[in-house]
Amino acid sequence: MSQDKAVILDQLESIFQDTFTDNTYAFSANTTRDDIEEWDSLSHIRLLTAIEANFGVQFDLDEIGNMTDVATIVDLLHQKLS
Amino acid sequence: MLPLLWIYYIRNYHNNRLAEFFMHDLPWLLTPSDDFNERCAQLASHQNPADEVHVLAHYALSINQSNRLYQAIRKLSVETRSLLSRTLTPFRLGIVSNATMDLMIPSLITAAIRNGVDLEVVTTDFGQVAQEAFDPDSKLNQSTLDAVLVALDYRAYPSLVDQSVASDKAAPSEKAFDYLQQIRESFKQKGGMICIAQTLACPPYEFGGNFDAQFDGLLRKSLTEFNCALVDDIKSSPDVLLDVAAMVNMVGAYNWFDDRQWYLSRMPMANTYVPLYAEYLTKLIAALRGKSKKCLVLDLDNTLWGGVIGDDGLTGIQIGQGHPIGESFLAIHQWAKTLKDLGVILAVCSKNDKNIALEVFQKHPGMLLKENDFAVFVANWEDKATNIRLIAKTLNIGLDALVFVDDNPAEREIIRTMLPEVSVPELPKDVSQFLRILSAARYFEKIDFTEDDARRNAQYLGNIRRQEIQESAASLEDYLHSLEMRIRFAPFDEFGRKRIVQLINKTNQFNLTTRRYTEADLVQFEDSGQYITLQVHLQDKFGDNGMISVVICRVNEDCWDIDTWLMSCRVIKRRVEEAVCDELVTRARECGITRLRGYYRPTEKNSLVKEHYRQLGFECVCTNETEDVWVLEVDHYQIKNPPITVTKSSVTA
Repeated sequence: MSQDKAVILDQLESIFQDTFTDNTYAFSANTTRDDIEEWDSLSHIRLLTAIEANFGVQFDLDEIGNMTDVATIVDLLHQKLS
Repeated sequence: MLPLLWIYYIRNYHNNRLAEFFMHDLPWLLTPSDDFNERCAQLASHQNPADEVHVLAHYALSINQSNRLYQAIRKLSVETRSLLSRTLTPFRLGIVSNATMDLMIPSLITAAIRNGVDLEVVTTDFGQVAQEAFDPDSKLNQSTLDAVLVALDYRAYPSLVDQSVASDKAAPSEKAFDYLQQIRESFKQKGGMICIAQTLACPPYEFGGNFDAQFDGLLRKSLTEFNCALVDDIKSSPDVLLDVAAMVNMVGAYNWFDDRQWYLSRMPMANTYVPLYAEYLTKLIAALRGKSKKCLVLDLDNTLWGGVIGDDGLTGIQIGQGHPIGESFLAIHQWAKTLKDLGVILAVCSKNDKNIALEVFQKHPGMLLKENDFAVFVANWEDKATNIRLIAKTLNIGLDALVFVDDNPAEREIIRTMLPEVSVPELPKDVSQFLRILSAARYFEKIDFTEDDARRNAQYLGNIRRQEIQESAASLEDYLHSLEMRIRFAPFDEFGRKRIVQLINKTNQFNLTTRRYTEADLVQFEDSGQYITLQVHLQDKFGDNGMISVVICRVNEDCWDIDTWLMSCRVIKRRVEEAVCDELVTRARECGITRLRGYYRPTEKNSLVKEHYRQLGFECVCTNETEDVWVLEVDHYQIKNPPITVTKSSVTA
């Protein structure tokens, strides 16, 4: 993983910590929706809002549907910020 | 290649902007401390969890932070939660909506705590608006609720969405308005509840540009008509208005409406605006419970004028037309003056030499506010916490009814620490931005405007003069005689109703049972024939005090049960309650009633009236955890005859 993506991943971790109150899962690029019990449709909206506010970006409708794992989110953010 | 620093730059740039200019971040509140998450996690083990919840809820919380605090509160023990509830006023709110409201609940609960309300939300299934309203057995109609939020936006009304302009159908706004009327009427009839109804915001879609406001059937015109009709109607109804259109006007339709979130999850607005919506809704609910702020306490130097009068002198300070800084402060004067006209009390709290400070009000041509606009004027070198306590005491209102405005962050911090009940808005560095932040905080949310509101500042000024005589009068009796009080009694009626609701919902100290009622409840008391009601008005030589006391008795064969007896604190220690008791007994005798039964239900605030019934000659017949019960045999009552002339009695004989 490039250094840029590592920076994004680092910020994402703190956003995940803000969004999910249960921090028993292990956060990494490989984390998916299945690993976090609390990651349901409601908290997905909160997650999205926090990421958009933090990075100052907006995701497209079709991107939002695909954001079910950390690696995809990092890639999307990397594209948008580059 | 992405520069690493750039990410940090974006983040900080964004945060800086958020801190000062975005309404959705509630910029009048402090941003949460860095250890917010840990403090939520440790809430249960905090030595005073209820106080800590208040502190945490008073930050400007994002939806994630609200959710975290909400989850932490839910995990508290039953005992701790009841300790927290005791510091709040309960309110049960039902919600119907054409959108998803679930995501809002944590924000609603935490915003309610911030505004002093213990909110319980009863939600319904998505889109079940008509079923909930029209079915008498529906979940909401069967629940005991204080109000129903009818959270509908324009998409809930098919006649508005269908903009086929060729047809000759009735005006779409009328159809939509009728539908909302039926929903409101049905909740009132079938559930006995008032509704919180929303105006409709116009989404950012255009058809013919400027023509959209003019052509029948197009959304912009329909929404304007709908909103006008709703605003007109609601003034004369017990329902209340949540003016969503005004909120969207403030933040902009492009920001408010997020089509992605609507299509994906039926979110009625961009998620970032959930905290603002929750704050404004709970402010309205708090106002229904009489918890709006009553007094605006203003600092002087760099808050009402630019500069420091003690250093810069009369010609050195900036206030008034012709200078950008002076005009910024003048705008605050204008705002405060209008608030005063709406019944907000104004006070000054400044570290200054009083004569030097007063000279500005007397001599500076740019000053719009004058000395006599303020009910209390405190300028000295004492610490501000002491002075603010003095202001509350002089006005005889609680510290939680005060808003303290000061440009100096250190003074703000001291008051927040020493007097956490006082609301202290954050202010930006730029004075031209003061007004939009201060006013957006909506401290003075109003449900209605009564004659008493119009007279309030004069009343408080009169009060302070009365205190001055009291200090010089030889005895309390002489003082009371010198006031030349005149009292007027009447049963509840349409004209007094709004003020009665206001008194019932905001009187805490001189309130024997602290029962809260809505306008709809009052109509029922008036109509049922089961209740004896009294509204009491008092005048004296300093002016008209307006309606100052309310009594509700339930008729129980030969006995009247005194369900409610309350009095405004500004007429305390004037033997008004004796005049009221004389009136009650006279009237009871006339109706052939033999006994009056009174109740004292203790709260955190009403210990003042613990011995109220004993002082009037009632006997305590029973005491338990929730109440003391007092009885008066009407025949044994000695008429008290305080020095108050009765100008109109409710007794017919």
